[in-house]
Amino acid sequence: MSSTINTSLGRQQGLMKEMQVVANNLANSSTTGYKSDRALFTEYLVSPGPSEDSISMGVLGGHAFKLEQGEMKFTGGQFDVAVQGEGFFVLQTPQGPRLTRAGHFQLSSESTLIDGFGNALLGAGGNPITIPQEASQVTIGGDGSISANGQLIDRVGVVKAQGELERDTNTFFAAPGGYAPFEEATVVQGALEQSNVSPVLEVARMIEVQRAYEAGQAMMERDDDRISKLITSLRER
Amino acid sequence: MKSLQIAASGMAAQQTRVDVISNNIANMSTTAYRPRVAEFSDLMYQQYQTPGTITSQVGTVVPAGIQIGTGVRPSTVSMQITQGALRQTDGELDVAIDGAGFLELTLPSGEAAYTRDGKLNRSPEGELVTMDGYPLADGIVIPDDAQRISISRDGEVVAYFSDSIEGQPIGTISLVRFVNEKGLEALGDNMFRETEAAGSANRLVPGTEGVGFLRQGFIEDSGVDVVKEISDLIEAQRGYELNSKVITASDEMMSATTRMR
Repeated sequence: MSSTINTSLGRQQGLMKEMQVVANNLANSSTTGYKSDRALFTEYLVSPGPSEDSISMGVLGGHAFKLEQGEMKFTGGQFDVAVQGEGFFVLQTPQGPRLTRAGHFQLSSESTLIDGFGNALLGAGGNPITIPQEASQVTIGGDGSISANGQLIDRVGVVKAQGELERDTNTFFAAPGGYAPFEEATVVQGALEQSNVSPVLEVARMIEVQRAYEAGQAMMERDDDRISKLITSLRER
Repeated sequence: MKSLQIAASGMAAQQTRVDVISNNIANMSTTAYRPRVAEFSDLMYQQYQTPGTITSQVGTVVPAGIQIGTGVRPSTVSMQITQGALRQTDGELDVAIDGAGFLELTLPSGEAAYTRDGKLNRSPEGELVTMDGYPLADGIVIPDDAQRISISRDGEVVAYFSDSIEGQPIGTISLVRFVNEKGLEALGDNMFRETEAAGSANRLVPGTEGVGFLRQGFIEDSGVDVVKEISDLIEAQRGYELNSKVITASDEMMSATTRMR
């Protein structure tokens, strides 16, 4: 196959994957605490032979997510909390601790704070948070301190990851490099952090991907034409 | 072409959101109705390149690995614990709960059900029953010749008769509290059932240990905020349209492929 076709084929495959990324972002435009994804393309050089010029190919090389804060939506929920600025909540999941920005919590039947999947929210001490049963009004302060009926109970743990974050399902992030408490975090009660997907950017990206794909397609068709013409003219000789 | 399925999952999620919103709006006048909110979470990620395999060059921060998401799913549809506005009705047997708590009812099966709808009535036998005829678990029977009934803030029911100024206590309405009210199972007809997630029912005197007071002559309005619901509806509709655009774009990309010889 000619190198033109090879080069655009590599690009095409990457664009298909990027379309998936855009689709996933748009599908999660209403997911609490979701962070938008971006596909990163890298160039690599291929040398077809010792005497020929090398060709540059674009391939999908990496993947980045934007940790920018999403909009705050005020829900008024007693156990709806959002982190303002940097930091993550820590959940105790069966797979180990997971970090999340989605702060939609509720009480378990044992009166501990859990997320929608039953994973316990960890306090600053690294233990699940227990709310006294007779508490009628629970207040969560800006520094994460939880008080019920005027008495301090615990503090919501907010951490910062050390090293790279790894995406997990349910808007969770795994931190293979561990995490450390982040004392300066600001916690807002009665609010949820919305998805940080910008529909305008995603739609623009989607159009770009689609057009680039079509351009690649046209390129391959041209090259196909060129080769077939070459064959015909060779045959006519 | 995964983007088709991903966008379809996005459309399904927004559809669920519209369903929840439409149920809220339909119940904007339902006594003591609590609005529901649909929450979503992302699906698993496909690992094309496990993170950690590629190192970035000096000075550039490129997170390693390629993880591509596969869509969205509804995670919970939770009940919002809000106090609806108290509306004065002057009904003698109308009670509203000002604060947390539920009235306990006994279903015909003998099972307990819980409600915040305090529009009570008198059954032919004089029992205090709901609009659907289910009696209060407190088993209060109003004497036939009672002229007036008074229900105090802490649940005491007193009957007054024509031949005496002094009232006669005939029972107490208690309130039931759950650790996790959001975990209750909705039965319809403004009733809920106890579940494992809600914790066990805690029967309390109104006004103690965090449960609310009773207010005679009031009923609790629906907690639905129509303006909020409509703005959510617009958001859901636009979200649905955005996802359908992805389907169109993916389709056009596929058709570009099939046009090729």
